[in-house]
Amino acid sequence: MPTRQIVVFLGLVLVLLVAILELVRRRVLRVEYSWLWIASCLTTVLLILRYDLLVELTELVGAVVPTSTLFFLCILYLALLCLHYSIRISDLTHQVKDLAQEVALLRVHRSEAAPDDDDASPRVG
Amino acid sequence: MSRDLLITLPALNEASNLPEVLAGLREHWPSAALLVVDDASSDATAAVARAHGALVAVLPFALGYGGAVQTGIKYGLRRGFAVVVTFDADGQHDPADVGPLVEAVRGGADLAIGSRALASGSYRGGIGRRFGRAVFTGLARALTGLRLTDPTSGLKALGPRGQALFAVSRFPDRYPDADALVLARRARLTIAERPARMRPSRNRRSMHGGVGSLAYGLNMLFSLFVAATGRDLHPKE
Repeated sequence: MPTRQIVVFLGLVLVLLVAILELVRRRVLRVEYSWLWIASCLTTVLLILRYDLLVELTELVGAVVPTSTLFFLCILYLALLCLHYSIRISDLTHQVKDLAQEVALLRVHRSEAAPDDDDASPRVG
Repeated sequence: MSRDLLITLPALNEASNLPEVLAGLREHWPSAALLVVDDASSDATAAVARAHGALVAVLPFALGYGGAVQTGIKYGLRRGFAVVVTFDADGQHDPADVGPLVEAVRGGADLAIGSRALASGSYRGGIGRRFGRAVFTGLARALTGLRLTDPTSGLKALGPRGQALFAVSRFPDRYPDADALVLARRARLTIAERPARMRPSRNRRSMHGGVGSLAYGLNMLFSLFVAATGRDLHPKE
């Protein structure tokens, strides 16, 4: 791998890594979600520095050029990531539904306790 | 108010139908608790329901029919009602049909369903819906041996065990449909059916039609498969 490429890509990964750390520090990204991204960055660094690993892997899976191996793995990785998020969203959908129902039931409870206190509660969305 | 019978009505923009529907229920069931679940309506549904003496649960945003029905069932379950009836707020159900359902639950059923197919002269929907219903009824029967005639009926009465199952967070909540009944069967609930006349809904918000029916059909097919073969849903004791 030409030195110029190594420098450029290492630089990019470094920027990404710093950005992720900063997001975590600002509490925008939760720590448990950051591991995934940090691990992706480190894998990229590994492949930049040890291109021969990618070549060996290419031979192992029977691909012709290392780029196809790389793209294939990237796509697979992104697909799995999407699946992971779908599962999280399903989970969150149930939680949000349960919370909305809880709010509605608490409103009944409140109106039973004080029937005149009409519902001036703001509506979301 | 006795903790005996709760009638819960999921309502989306039903301010114009509610006065008549609530008055009809009140006439037949003077001592029942009435709970309108307002699915984030943009009209005066909640105020109208309150003015007509019903309790109102206002959802902060729309959950759809199933989510609204479930809210009412959760209320009944927590307050320990012996029977919870789900009744549509759009005037398509007849208060006179509630009696036999309540009797069925008091007589030991966990779930009693008002069936259009058992009532002579009831409105049964267009040909497409009837066909779809026949297909899914047949499938539910093939999967579980369940013999029911009207799985999409929204008119139901639930005893405590039925309430507990329908209140589970991951219970299918898109429509009242065959998948829910397959789950009820798997949970070994006692299921009864009674005739119920239904009128065409005056406030059409049906989502089945055109491309929607294909999507609905596929979704229901998959949902039935999940209900029949998926992991058991365990109601909290």
